Amino acid sequence: MKDRTWRVSWNKVAGALAPALLLVVSSLPAKSQTTSDLLNPLFQGILAQPSNFNNALQYATLAPSRDIESAISTYEQLLFYNPNLASVRFELGVLYYRLGSYEMARGYFDSALKMKDITPALRQRAEDLIAAIDKKLQPDQFSGYVQSGFRYQTNAALGPAAGTTLASGRVFNNTFAARPDWNWFGAFGLNYVHDFENQRGDTFEASALGYDAQQFKLHQFDIGVMELRAGPRFGIVSDTATGLSIKPYFIATGATLADAVYYGGLGGGLTARIKLGDVSLDPYAEIVQQSFRNQTLYPLASGMSGTLSTVGLQASGPVYASLGFQSRVTYAHADANFNPFGYNAYAGDIWLPWNFSPLNDGRTWILTPTAGVSWWQYNAPDPTIDPNTTPNILEWRVGLGLEVPIWKLLNLGFLAQYRADVSNVPAFSMHDFSVTAGPTMRF
Amino acid sequence: MRSSRRFIVALTSALFAAAPASAQQVGTATAVNPLSESTPPGGTTAPLMVGAHIVHKERVHTTPAGTAQLLFTDKSSMSIAPNTDIVIDEYVYDPNANSGHMLVSLTKGALRFVGGQLSHQGEATITTSAANIGIRGGTVTVIQGQNGTKVINVAGIIKIVNGAGTFLLTRSDFGVLIQGWNTPIQDLGRIPPGDVAFFQAYAMSKFNENGGVPGFTGANIGHCGIGSVQGTNCPQVPWMPSDGGELDATQLLGNATNFGTNQITPPPPPPPPRRPPCNRC
Repeated sequence: MKDRTWRVSWNKVAGALAPALLLVVSSLPAKSQTTSDLLNPLFQGILAQPSNFNNALQYATLAPSRDIESAISTYEQLLFYNPNLASVRFELGVLYYRLGSYEMARGYFDSALKMKDITPALRQRAEDLIAAIDKKLQPDQFSGYVQSGFRYQTNAALGPAAGTTLASGRVFNNTFAARPDWNWFGAFGLNYVHDFENQRGDTFEASALGYDAQQFKLHQFDIGVMELRAGPRFGIVSDTATGLSIKPYFIATGATLADAVYYGGLGGGLTARIKLGDVSLDPYAEIVQQSFRNQTLYPLASGMSGTLSTVGLQASGPVYASLGFQSRVTYAHADANFNPFGYNAYAGDIWLPWNFSPLNDGRTWILTPTAGVSWWQYNAPDPTIDPNTTPNILEWRVGLGLEVPIWKLLNLGFLAQYRADVSNVPAFSMHDFSVTAGPTMRF
Repeated sequence: MRSSRRFIVALTSALFAAAPASAQQVGTATAVNPLSESTPPGGTTAPLMVGAHIVHKERVHTTPAGTAQLLFTDKSSMSIAPNTDIVIDEYVYDPNANSGHMLVSLTKGALRFVGGQLSHQGEATITTSAANIGIRGGTVTVIQGQNGTKVINVAGIIKIVNGAGTFLLTRSDFGVLIQGWNTPIQDLGRIPPGDVAFFQAYAMSKFNENGGVPGFTGANIGHCGIGSVQGTNCPQVPWMPSDGGELDATQLLGNATNFGTNQITPPPPPPPPRRPPCNRC
């Protein structure tokens, strides 16, 4: 029965996501091998006859996907031939921007704006990138998002189906069984970086994350979460790799549930950053002392109090042109006051933000497929659920988000997600489909 | 007859095999604004022309009005500012193995070096009277003047070595000044934007010049996200997942439902004690 439920669920989700994934894949170039095959003869053509500027232009337009510096050399060659071309200056600005050389980029964008042949769309894009550069070169930098909206879930409790029986034969408490509901939610993420402007690239960083959801009917699931991380980042100067750094940090977290204080956590961690080309790798390890508070509705919550230790790796970077990726894999070990609530868990998530401009007006839409999987292995049977079976839970989740630009920093955000937990203890199995819509501001 | 023909073939092969490496092309002059000149090893100085082969040990010199761009076989390039003197001291590149090394000396003036395959392996070096400047995977602007050598890191890792020590430049738009071979390398920090823009324009055609190639009047370039011709040169838009808080909340809520609730029905209250029969009621 469990396998059939899995297949039915998967078929529904795959059918929903397939058109969107096809849209993303079909927009990618057929094979990067084709680009490589073309580039070398074009480069040899430049060496043999540099005055053939059509050959040079063809190389310059293909090269950015494979070799940014070679593209820079060729666009600068073309700029020697005609220094009055806004489009060439603009492309050089983007190439230097991609290298992280923001003053060189700004120089080319500024000069592109002065050219007589600049188009309105190019002017707007250049001005936007100059604004982005100004922000990046400030000693104090803020970035983040604010989001609000409404969410519908088929299972607001994230609980098992109504009528699920426990090992004892009793029925799972119906107050926490699967039921649909709407909620209003608000979310924010804020990053702050202070650049000490030294050669090593030392900074101080702080980030805050917040989420609050108020249910329309099932107020026992009203939840609010806040998390704060902060610490200094020390650059490591090396003659073989750039972007190396290490950061110790502290963590403070808290949550309310059913409109009462539910959870608090304090701890610290250590993270490093390693750059491999355009890919940024951030391994980390952290330890948090968790404290859960019993409530009328959740009288056993304090049993989950204990130490949570996590090691993980975050990675991000470009995939191709306007497609990027963010990913995270973690291992967590939780000790709990009540031993059956302790666990070992493994998790992985990936986001694939794809920027595109369907109206060719230079404004960016973002389509983001997401997927994740988690595995929990608990320490011992929970006697209130099933005294004979040590629970494990496999969760998989998929989603598709879309942000549509409305005005300046304001977007309209949509998100569809499906989540399913499959457990050897029926009371811990559940599935939930949710849709979210509301305004989002990124800055 | 057959033996004499074989002798001629063998002699010709031997002559080519023994030809000095200095005659081998190491690059091409891809753009030249007058007056710029070059002096091949053992040869005479002549005006540099677009398409001219650049060879090992060649000297390139620009006058106060001249600028030039050289493109090397490993895909690196050098934009040469006015009043500049350089010599290609060493250049070895095996495209099959993607290995080799290059050494260019800058006697006076300024240049911008955009790295290629050799610099990606840390095998590209520019020398001046004040320092050796090693380039790893990067782009650099070097100015040799009366005050010494100024190095501006555009991108990548720049290792500056002289008699007084070593300095690593790893941040873009940061620079150093070296006044002499035995003077300490001076950290200049972030280079003022005006200086970066000045040197960017300095080693480039003026608005009335054409780099020796007339007729390039326009370019139909596909820009990323603009127009019907899409380009692949796309700046990364800073992005962070906006569901971080929601993921945390979901896990907290799931655990609360699974473990925080009490699934054990409280036992029924004990029945009230039976009252003994009343004998005197």
